[in-house]
Amino acid sequence: MDSLHAIGFYVSSGVLLIGGLGVALLPGRELRGAALAVVGVGLGGLYVSLAAGFAAVVALICYLACGALVAGPRYRSVEVVVGPLWRQVGALGAAGLLVVIIYAAFRGDFVTAKFFGGAFGVSAIGRLLFAHDALATEAVAALVLVSLAGATAVWRVRERAR
Amino acid sequence: MSASLVAALFVAAALVAVGVFTAVWRRDVTAALGGIPLILGGAGVAFVGVARFAAAGSPHLFGQEFAVLLAIAAVALLALGLGIAGREGAR
Repeated sequence: MDSLHAIGFYVSSGVLLIGGLGVALLPGRELRGAALAVVGVGLGGLYVSLAAGFAAVVALICYLACGALVAGPRYRSVEVVVGPLWRQVGALGAAGLLVVIIYAAFRGDFVTAKFFGGAFGVSAIGRLLFAHDALATEAVAALVLVSLAGATAVWRVRERAR
Repeated sequence: MSASLVAALFVAAALVAVGVFTAVWRRDVTAALGGIPLILGGAGVAFVGVARFAAAGSPHLFGQEFAVLLAIAAVALLALGLGIAGREGAR
């Protein structure tokens, strides 16, 4: 990996984590939607710096869509009744998870290999998606279909209830 | 200056932790759903990093393939979650 890609990697990582913290901490759905879009930009840049151009394009589109969904007018606020103690326990659990994963990443004995894929690799990934791992592709397609149909059905029920 | 698999895994770990933090810290369910794309994005970064630096055998693109699938799954799950939460919020 040359210096340009390394700089892109670290800059994109910073953008990605700043966007993630924005999703976690910013008030207001518009700001959180914008933060999710920033996450998409950072993730796309990170993927490009790791020679995964096609994944970068798909991730950018999907996370911009996530940002539009969160910032959109169909957003409804639903408060859950969870005590502050459990929220703090959950936050400490998240911190513990971060420590465990970082320790595993730092102490892991990883192999190193030479990367033969191209910068974009759309034909090779297409062969993998539609020939080698067609079942996984169909499972995700079924998830998208169920999600869109479910969201549409819920929206229609809500419109009728008004 | 160079990036390595450990750096990619650090970023992935931080993103997953921020996603879990979002899911447990936010009192609003629809805001907590914003943690789902972060968790799946962190998993995607780990997959792409392994595919870039440490994948043995060929082809070296399985990680990228899974990152693509995870990004699509993230937007689908968020749409479904926001739809269901919106229904509850309208009651």
